[in-house]
Amino acid sequence: MTRLQIILTRLALLALVLGAWELLPRSGVVNPLLLPPLSEVMAMLANLLGRPNVHEAVAVTALEVLVAFIIAVPLGAAAGILLAENEYFGEIFKPMLFYVFSIPKSIFLPMFILVFGIGFQQKVAYAAFTTAFVVLMSATAAVESVRSDHIMVARSYGASRTQILWRVYVPSMLPILLETLRISMIFNFTGVMIAEMYASRTGIGHLISNWGENFQMPQLFAGVIMLSAVAILFNEAVRALEARCSTWRT
Amino acid sequence: MQHLANLNELRGQAGEIAIKVEGLSHVYPGADGGVPALADIDMSVGKGRFVVIVGPSGCGKTSLLMMMAGLRRQSQGRILCLGQPIPEPDPQRVGVVFQEASLFPWLSTLDNIEFPLSLRGMPRAERRRRSQAMLSLVGLEGFGERYPHELSGGMKQRVSIARGLVQDPPVLLMDEPFAALDEQTRMTMGHELLRIWSTARKTVVFVTHSLTEAVYLADEVLVMSPRPGRLIDHIEVGLPRPRTYEMMATEVFGKLRNRIWQQIRKTV
Repeated sequence: MTRLQIILTRLALLALVLGAWELLPRSGVVNPLLLPPLSEVMAMLANLLGRPNVHEAVAVTALEVLVAFIIAVPLGAAAGILLAENEYFGEIFKPMLFYVFSIPKSIFLPMFILVFGIGFQQKVAYAAFTTAFVVLMSATAAVESVRSDHIMVARSYGASRTQILWRVYVPSMLPILLETLRISMIFNFTGVMIAEMYASRTGIGHLISNWGENFQMPQLFAGVIMLSAVAILFNEAVRALEARCSTWRT
Repeated sequence: MQHLANLNELRGQAGEIAIKVEGLSHVYPGADGGVPALADIDMSVGKGRFVVIVGPSGCGKTSLLMMMAGLRRQSQGRILCLGQPIPEPDPQRVGVVFQEASLFPWLSTLDNIEFPLSLRGMPRAERRRRSQAMLSLVGLEGFGERYPHELSGGMKQRVSIARGLVQDPPVLLMDEPFAALDEQTRMTMGHELLRIWSTARKTVVFVTHSLTEAVYLADEVLVMSPRPGRLIDHIEVGLPRPRTYEMMATEVFGKLRNRIWQQIRKTV
């Protein structure tokens, strides 16, 4: 298949799904109370985007996501690099962290509520907690992806420690680090959403969970579309950057 | 014959020593007093000579080379490179070519060759001039903007040699540079290396486990025993230069090759 054919097929599939979403509820094949037609959902989305309470919720969620990300990424990265570079720390902490990594983090949510309440801090703390683990694991992998023969080459040409860091470590790790950024944002976003849906007074997750409980399906689906758009946009932006920085990685 | 005469003239100064190794031993630290890797190595390499160290896998020949490069410390003994000890890498004296070409995949061919110069902060224009010259020396004109993943194994090793020579060090250390190449490429690269060597006039210490490669390239072959590595033979290869592929079929070549093989076989 040529590139064009692939793209056309993808678009056709998308049209098929969207068309079904519109037609199946309208024709009564699917209960429109459970799945409102696409046009109704889009009209609701336009309506929601004009409501002040939605604006506020979006702002709160965006801030939570951002702050949790800013805390989790450097923290996780520093811990991951320390673990990979320092044999002593690695030996001691690596097994424990792998054990903890395997536990579903959402079971700790009640503890976060007890400690932080159900406000902004709890969302940030919980999301940062779940995200830091992912960053830590990937950062360790990034350090381990640096080839020892590359370090040897740099040393043999008289590179200083700083030069080795900037000229060998950073470019070697960059593709994995960007990938980490992208994947950790997925976990981070999920963390905030779960915390908001579990117990909250505001935020877009809280709204979505409320709409669900009150059987307001057009609102619920409009919310889902809104969040999906933001998440996909961020993901693709970082992916484009990733592709530019890792043409050599084949 | 012109450059043969030149080389002989160069060897006329053979009294001068480029690398001297005295009483060198090495033990890898560990339980039970550690693992002895190298024992009682004494050797000297004359300026402008092409010396090949050959020995079975794991005999410590690479370790010895890394010590000459200042990349590793020996437990005992000393190494003098151009009359001075070499406690850490000194790219002005020694260029190293590694087993895998070990090019940086995120840099273009020219940027890879220039890497040692850029570490010293040499201006870009001067760097480009020098790396271009090296690129043509190794026969890769037109490939300067390519990236390593776009080059064949032999081409990568050429780039690696160019990188080793770009600072114009008097000594070039080569650690099984052609080991990962297929037989034909390996032969061609050996031939190319001799051409480059006769132009650049460096002292070369070349490590390999291929006997044919050793005899084909070397002025002198040093044979090492299995671990702990000792020097068990020193062979002058009297074959004239420039070397040709036809020489490999001669009796002299076969005898030299066989002598090395017998030495290694005795110890295995």
